[in-house]
Order: sequence, then C-alpha cells, then structure tokens
Amino acid sequence: MSTERVLMRNVGRPEALTVRGYREGGGYDALAKALRLQPEEVIEEVKRSGLRGRGGAGFPCGAKWSFVPRQTPKPKYIVCNADESEPGTFKDRLLMEHDPHQLIEGCIIAGWAVGANTTYIYIRGEYTKAAAILESAVRDAYDSGVLGTNVLGSGFRHDMVVHRGAGAYICGEETGMLESLEGKRGQPRVKPPFPAVVGAFGCPTVINNVETLCCATHILLRGADWFKSIGTDERNTGPKLYAISGHVERPGTYEYPIGVPFQTLLDGCGGMYRGRELKAFIPGGASAPMMKASDRGIKMDFDTLAKAGSMLGSAAVIVMDETTCMVRATLRLAKFFAHESCGQCTPCREGTNWMKILLQRIHSGQGSEADLDLLARVVPNVGGISLCALGDAAQGPVRSLVDKFSDEIRENLRAGRYPTPAPRYFDQGAAA
Amino acid sequence: MPTVTIDGRTVEVAAGTNLIEAGLKVGVQIPHYCYHPRLSVVGQCRMCMVEIEGMGKLQAACSTQVMKDGMVVRTTSPNADEAQRAIMEFLLINHPLDCPICDQAGECGLQDYSYKHGQAFSRFRYDEKRTYPEKERIPLGPTVMLNMNRCIQCTRCVRFTEEIAKTSELGFFQRGSHAEIGTFPGKPLDNPLSTCVVDICPVGALTSTRFRFAERVWYLDKSPSLCTGCDVGCNITLEHKRGAIKRYKPRQNPDVNDFWMCDHGRSTHERYREVPRLAFPQIRRNGALAATGWKEALDHVAHNLRSRRSEGAIAFLGSGFLSTEEAFLLAKIAAVVDSPHHSIWVDSGPARQIPNPQGGITGHDAAPNRRGAELAGLVPAAGAVASEDLLLEGGAAKCGAIFVADSDFGRAAYDPKVVERLREAKFLAVMGWADSPLARAADVVLPVATHAERSGTFVNVDWRVQRFEQAFPAPPQVRPGVEALADLLSRFDSKWSTVTPATVFDLMAEEVAAFGGLRYGEIAAEGTKLARIPEAAPAGAGA
Repeated sequence: MSTERVLMRNVGRPEALTVRGYREGGGYDALAKALRLQPEEVIEEVKRSGLRGRGGAGFPCGAKWSFVPRQTPKPKYIVCNADESEPGTFKDRLLMEHDPHQLIEGCIIAGWAVGANTTYIYIRGEYTKAAAILESAVRDAYDSGVLGTNVLGSGFRHDMVVHRGAGAYICGEETGMLESLEGKRGQPRVKPPFPAVVGAFGCPTVINNVETLCCATHILLRGADWFKSIGTDERNTGPKLYAISGHVERPGTYEYPIGVPFQTLLDGCGGMYRGRELKAFIPGGASAPMMKASDRGIKMDFDTLAKAGSMLGSAAVIVMDETTCMVRATLRLAKFFAHESCGQCTPCREGTNWMKILLQRIHSGQGSEADLDLLARVVPNVGGISLCALGDAAQGPVRSLVDKFSDEIRENLRAGRYPTPAPRYFDQGAAA
Repeated sequence: MPTVTIDGRTVEVAAGTNLIEAGLKVGVQIPHYCYHPRLSVVGQCRMCMVEIEGMGKLQAACSTQVMKDGMVVRTTSPNADEAQRAIMEFLLINHPLDCPICDQAGECGLQDYSYKHGQAFSRFRYDEKRTYPEKERIPLGPTVMLNMNRCIQCTRCVRFTEEIAKTSELGFFQRGSHAEIGTFPGKPLDNPLSTCVVDICPVGALTSTRFRFAERVWYLDKSPSLCTGCDVGCNITLEHKRGAIKRYKPRQNPDVNDFWMCDHGRSTHERYREVPRLAFPQIRRNGALAATGWKEALDHVAHNLRSRRSEGAIAFLGSGFLSTEEAFLLAKIAAVVDSPHHSIWVDSGPARQIPNPQGGITGHDAAPNRRGAELAGLVPAAGAVASEDLLLEGGAAKCGAIFVADSDFGRAAYDPKVVERLREAKFLAVMGWADSPLARAADVVLPVATHAERSGTFVNVDWRVQRFEQAFPAPPQVRPGVEALADLLSRFDSKWSTVTPATVFDLMAEEVAAFGGLRYGEIAAEGTKLARIPEAAPAGAGA
C-alpha cells in the first residue's frame, strides 16, 4: 500500500502558499505539460485515469469534461465547488488553506481541456481563512503570469474569481451554486439541461469539487497509469482524502489510496476515543446512510459502499461509539437537513420537516413504536422524487436508523429511556 | 415528429413537447401544480411524477421532453401512483384543511387531486402543523390578498410577475418548510395584470380582494363571453348567479388574451351594479317620463322618425358597445328613413396591453366594438351630422329627431352640458341598459339587454370577429337590442319582423365586403380574423 502523500504533499510546507515556493516543489509542471497537449488529449488522459468526482456523487470527471460542446459561440466556464458544507467534511478546507496553487493549477488545466477562459471558485462563506489564502494566491498567480492573458507564456487566457457563498448548504448542489453565483436565490434548477450545456449565465459549465481538480493536476503530471495503479479497481482509482471525526483519538484529514478498509482508517487515527467500543459510523458525510460496527472491514470506495447501501460521498467519516444515542444523533442530522432544505420542492420541504418532527417526538419520550413505524413509511417518500439530491441525502441517515437500529429504539421506547441525557463533550485535554 | 406512448395511447408530437402537453393530446391528465403552459418549467411540485420505460427513477412529466421516437410512459403504474399519493400527503400535512371556510373550495387543485390521487386519512398530528402566524391576511397590493397558511409554494405567481407581467413584484423568501411568498419592501403587487396571479394560484393562498368571500363558486353559473373593457376583446368566462354577474375570469384564447386579462376588465361588470338600470319602456307625457309598453314606445319612435324629417336632420348615434348586428340594424333604420346622419361615439381609454404568444395585443378604445359598428355601416356620409357635431357642438339643434342607441355610450352621457345639447333636438329617443342622465332627458326610453343578456359579435382591435353568448335572460320588460331594433325596423319594412343575431349577421355578411360571406355559425371558437381588413375607415356599406 502506497503511503506517499500526493494531495497533501504541501501540507505543512508554508512556502507552497506562494507561486515561487509551489514551483520549487514541482508545482505548475502539470499545467505546463497540459498546455503542450491538445485539449482532447488532456480529457482523454483524465478519462483513462478513472478519476471520479470527489464531491459526493462520484461522477467520472473526464466524461463530465467531454460533455461540454466544443463548437459553441458561447463562453465556457469552470466552476470549482468549494462550498464544502456537508457535516463532517473538512478535506477541501485543508487543501485550500495549505496548497491553494494545487487547486488553481487544476482549475486552469480543466479550463484548457474544455476551452474555458474563466474559473469561478465558489467558496463556502464560513471559510474566511481559506478564502483569504485563495484570494492572495490568485493575485500571486496573476502577478507571476500563471493566470491572465498569457498563461505560462502559452497564449492561453484564463481568469479566476474567488466567490464567497453566504452560508447555505443548498449552494453546494451544483445548480443551486450556479443560481447563487448569478446573484439569485440559491436553489437548484431542474435538470436537464445539465450544466455542461446550460450552466453559469446560460453557458456551458464544468463544475468540479476542489479535490477532483487537485487530482487532475497529479494525473497530468504523473500519468493516468500511475493514477490507476492506486486504489481498489478500475472504477475506484487514485488517492483520497478522508475527513475523520467523532469518537476517535486523533480526528483529522488523512490521505489514503481510495478503498482502504474502514478499520485501517480507524487505526490510522489512533483508534476509538479512550478505547471505547465502535457502535456505528457514517462513511461519507451526513447524507450517507450509517453503517454498523460489524461493517468495520468494509472497503471505503464508491462501489463497495454503494453495494452495501451507503455511499462514499465526500468521504467524511463520522465515528460513533457505544455511548451514542442513535436517535439523538440522527435527529441532529434531520434538523440540519430540515433547516437547509431550500423549500422549493414538495417532498424535501415537507418531508425533511416531518422526519424531524417524528424523530423529535421519539426522542422527547412522547413517542411510541407507532411513530417509528410511521417514520419508516414516510422516509422512502422523501428520497427519489425530490428535485435535487438534498431530498435523497436527508433520508439516508434516517433510513439507516430505521433499518439498522429499530430494535434498539423499540427497546429504549419500551424501557422509557428517552430523552437520553445530553452527551458529555470531549474535555479539552483529551482531544488530540 | 417523434411519437410517444402514454398509458398505451400513442401520439405524434413536436420534438421538445413535454409529457404533460403530450398527455393532454391523448386525453391523459397528468396531475400538476407548478407547471403552467406559459411559465418556465421549474419541476418543483413533483406532482407529475411518471414512470418512463428504461429509466430507473420516476421522472417529472413537466420537465421531460419528447425528443426521439419510442418513449413509453406510464402515469398510473404502482410506482407513479405511490409517488403522487406521497406528494399529496406532503402537500396536505401542513395545509389547514379548512375547506369549508376557504374561498378557493370548489375550484381548488388540492381538493381535486385529493379525490383523484390522495388518501382519505391523515397520518400527521394536527397540533404539529407549520403555520405562518399573522400571515393569514396580507394584502399584497390593491387587488390580491395572500393567506400564507394555504400556500403550497408552487411559485406560479412569482414566475407570472417575472415572466408575463415583467414587473417582478413577488419573491420567494425563507427556506425549507418556512419558505414563503411575499413582496419586496415598499413594492406592492400593483400592475395592470395583477389579478391573474389569483387565477393561476392552484390553492386558496391568493384571493382577489374584490371577489373573496363574495360567493361560493359552485353556486355560480358559467358562460363564455367577451370583456367589454376595451377593444382587445379578451375572452372571458362570465360567472353569474340569478341574473347578476359575479366575476369575469379569462378564457384561454392564444390569439387574443391567452390565459390573461387585465384588472380593469375584471372590474367592468361592477358598472352594472353601480349604474341604475332601465327596467321598462318610458314615454314623455306632460313633461315627465311615464312607463309604457314596447308597442306604444316603438310606434311613437317610428312616427317621430317619419314625421320629423321636415323639421331637420334625423340623426342616429351609436356606440362601441353595440354588437355588430345592432349597429347593422341601426344603419338599416337610418337607411329606411333616408338619413345619412349615422355615426358612433367611442371614448378613448388608456392603452391596455395583454400579453399573448404572438407578443401581445393592445387596446386603446374604452369600448369593445368600434370596428364592428363602423364596418356595419355606422359611418357618417360626407357632410352629414356626425357624433362630434352632436356632442361637442350645437349640431343637435338642427335635428328633427335624434335616436341614441346606447344610453351609456361614454362619459358624455353623464355630462349635463352634453345632455342639454342633445335635448335641443325636437325629438330624442334613447335606447340602452343604463338609466343615465341622457336617458332621463329623452322623449322615449327603450330598455335593452346588457352584453351578458344578449348574443352577438364584436370586432376587436386586430379585426377579429368574436361571438359572445347570452349568459342569462334579460329582466321581463327588457329586450335584446337586436330584437328591439328589428321591431322598430319592421314598422318601415315588414321583412324585418323576426330576426336573431345569427340571421342579422348572415345578412350583413352578404352585404358588407369585409365580412366576406362569413356565417354566424362558422365563426371559430377563438374568433375569425377578417380576411379583407379595411385599410381606412370603411365606407358606409349596408346603409
């Protein structure tokens, strides 16, 4: 197993914040290489690498780039999705705060590949530090001739704008992001048409996650074959950042080849907090259905987790130990989704709120097993028919609660254990 | 063109047609709330979920277009049914469910689809309903009231103000289950088309300030008619009860008003309540008007039209409110008494613009049928006494008799100076529905039907002949204008004793070239555009 840090190679190397320092570490070589290739060759290389989107959906990146029409009188855009707001996810923040030029390089490569002259980096509003770092990095890149009318002397023009969001989870959904970017209320659009054809300002647009674009940089530099050699199989390739939080000794962002078993992740961050027992974990951010402790050996890649009824999502791993009240934990997530639903489509607007109400009732001690049964029947209606993925996301954790933990809930209901006491938070000294 | 099969029925549609429209072509109604044929597709109510062969997930019919041959759609498969039931349940969990006191009851999308796609029981606790306190009665502007508790967030109203009215007064605020419709601070919903948002609101959230809680809609009878507010000729559904008009609603006609009509037009029927009505024929005896019968009144008019010719001109004044047939008969009467003095008066109004798929249509007159009346012959011959002479100058004094065919022909009928001027004629007969000052000054008063009580045609600003139908009968002593005028005409020429608007129109079409042999029964539902549009003012044909 490769233990080389690829995406995180510049973490802890503050000199990489400047163009000069970044170049000393081999930065912008990938861009120079890409500019010598034809755009089609760049797309082909990314396609061959098997790179799948790191934002959550896992859509093949090369295919997405190839959907952009080549012959069009309209301008084309790259939009970098840096609106990292999935609960539990903090991998992109690390990349932007420690290695902004890696992202800038990836954006320009994507721009060259699809023929876009502008990149918008839509960054989460709360990421003030990352936004400041990115903005100064973009300025530095303009000053050094990396951005502007003549990228690295190639004659290719590329501009970059860092656009800060205003604090809505829904703006991480790609079309919601475009609406927000255009200055409108951030709510998803109906698809089709897909952004590759009608995106930002009505023009063809590629929307990629921060980590995806960073991966593209390395694919160009070291080749698709190298990228493919990392990972589980043909469909799950490359290095991957896992953001691990919850009841572990050393929470944080860790880089592994995609598809390492969950147990490896757990061991890598020092094991369970104070040696407690694992009860459940969320493998891919708040919208991924929860897994039980018995699944600890599962490979953390797109297809294995999908087969197991969950998803890799943004690879935000939330670990819960034996002291966790599953209803309370799920209620917290349900409240989040009910709060963040944009309110335009019916199943999500009404369904997220209804799930929250039912969980609240169960947790308050006023509920009964009938409420749990009702919850089980309401949940499937929330996903699948909503306008965007938020409805699907919201029902994920609740569905897994009903599927996997209903025996425990029934027992607790019968024994009158709700509401459970508020959890005791980590004392400052023990947290790593 | 690609074909699509919906619930086993195959139909060929233009590429890009969405499934809701394609379904309508084969008689399959796919339930929907947010979709409207003239508004952008947002696919957000999720009511129109259907199953498409070869696609794993259910798809929204409104945003799915038929692009290539062979799409097979099922709207009533178990999965689609379940999705529609689930959406109905979601829409209703936070809905007040107080239909008995809701003004929309009877024409409510939630009620209709509940019967068809919903369930009869509730799984949601009443005390947990989301409400919008203090937002039950928000005036969005002068014409529209919002009750946020009833809203289902379909945003049709928001899109209407953005895309059709192009005024963008409404917005979608807040998030999640607290999302709400509202206006921006200091910018009320106040545009000429504002009440259309009430029509397109599928639920009781938006109600018309003028109509709300005035009637239970299931007690209203409905008749196809035309608006008389201007010369656009908006097609309307005239809703009435016991001989009184309760409201106008636009009736779709893509060539004229499409789905819309203006607030002014909606309010025009209120005039029938505000202005006193002529209820029976009257005749002046010893200086005062006294009730009489139709025979005596018409005999008196006929006698005067005949005998006063030596005392001066016999003038006929029509209006833009006459139907084309009435105008034609009036011109005929002028012809039989050998008078060239026949004209109309039409007030001009503000420009009234109604959007339609052709880009819109604008009316400038304050009456619906100036063009029809002129085509029918109410154009003064050269040198004759015209309406301007009668109303603006002392032309009436030169007249032996004046016959005014509309007591409510315009603002001038209420102007004491104009009434005084017209009164200078030796004999003044006034026909009409309104008991206006002009009618009170007449020697003979003939009460006739309003446009809701008669049938006929109007010719709009685009030279489109449109029919309107009698919605309810006129009061006992009141006769439709065509009947009254024909009765008067038969005193000169007996062949006119029995006519209907249809026979008059057909006769007129033979005589007047502009109507080009059109027949009353052949006027299309959306109106018939005249084939030969007169370039200048039409000649006094028919006279």
